[in-house]
Amino acid sequence: MAAVGFRNWARALSRGKQPGFSALFSQIRAASGPSKGMLPGPYPQTPEERAAAAKEYNMRVEDYEPIPDNGEGYGDYPQLPDRSQHERDPWYSWDHPDLRRNWGEPIHWDFDMFIRNRVDTSSSPVAWHTMCKHLFGFVGFMLLMFYLGEKFPSYQPVAPKQYPYSNLHLERGEDPEKQPEEVKHFNI
Amino acid sequence: MGAHLARRYITETETEPDPAKPFGFDPEFGFGERKEREMVASQAQMNLAQVPVLQRDYCAHHLIKLMKCKRDNWPNFLACKHERHDWDYCEHQDYVMRMKEYERERRLQMRKKRVEEAQAA
Repeated sequence: MAAVGFRNWARALSRGKQPGFSALFSQIRAASGPSKGMLPGPYPQTPEERAAAAKEYNMRVEDYEPIPDNGEGYGDYPQLPDRSQHERDPWYSWDHPDLRRNWGEPIHWDFDMFIRNRVDTSSSPVAWHTMCKHLFGFVGFMLLMFYLGEKFPSYQPVAPKQYPYSNLHLERGEDPEKQPEEVKHFNI
Repeated sequence: MGAHLARRYITETETEPDPAKPFGFDPEFGFGERKEREMVASQAQMNLAQVPVLQRDYCAHHLIKLMKCKRDNWPNFLACKHERHDWDYCEHQDYVMRMKEYERERRLQMRKKRVEEAQAA
């Protein structure tokens, strides 16, 4: 068999073509790349087409429901519930525990989005309205308190600090030509 | 501590002074004779010593002495206790004067209110 392969390879080279690696040895081909019939077929119209598609996707005919045909090209791919892998039983012994999926199970269209590192559709630990109440209640309370703090500031019962040289007129960078108003400070 | 806030916002809202506003009464009122505050360090001296603007108050001469002492004694950071105490004491007296000014303003406001009420009655 190897000798036959070698002859084909020699022939291909002599013809001057540039084939891919798999085609150099026509008796073997790589597992990568789609095989015939791997893409979804057209949207099923008849019940027989539905049954065939269900069998293809390893589903029961009762369960199989194709994605509605809106012209986007899903074909006969099944419509599975939009539930992420977080919602699946963590204690069941799945074939692929990380993906929480068994071998041969139909794969959701957005399966790569629903893995456990990504989008999580499971319910929140506390009811949504409770969470909203708590968050907005707290934020609203803090805003109210800061507003009150602006309206009624807290301060020490002292007069403002007194600075010499007409309130440091020159040091503050004011106009040296302009005469500052006379400020007198006294001991008390 | 905090009694002035209760007075300002709740009980005596008209007479409690607001430190953000300038105090209106005549500084000599109620005093026989009042000594002016003396500024020891000149502007040129403060400039040469590079004193920060907010620290150029009536205690700046003590601060300049302290800065010189620290620079001369580095790395002995425990050296300038006397100079630091002088500066701290001066600042303390300045703060006490501020408190007294506030209290003076408050009492003058209350007196003004009493006088107005007596006149109205």
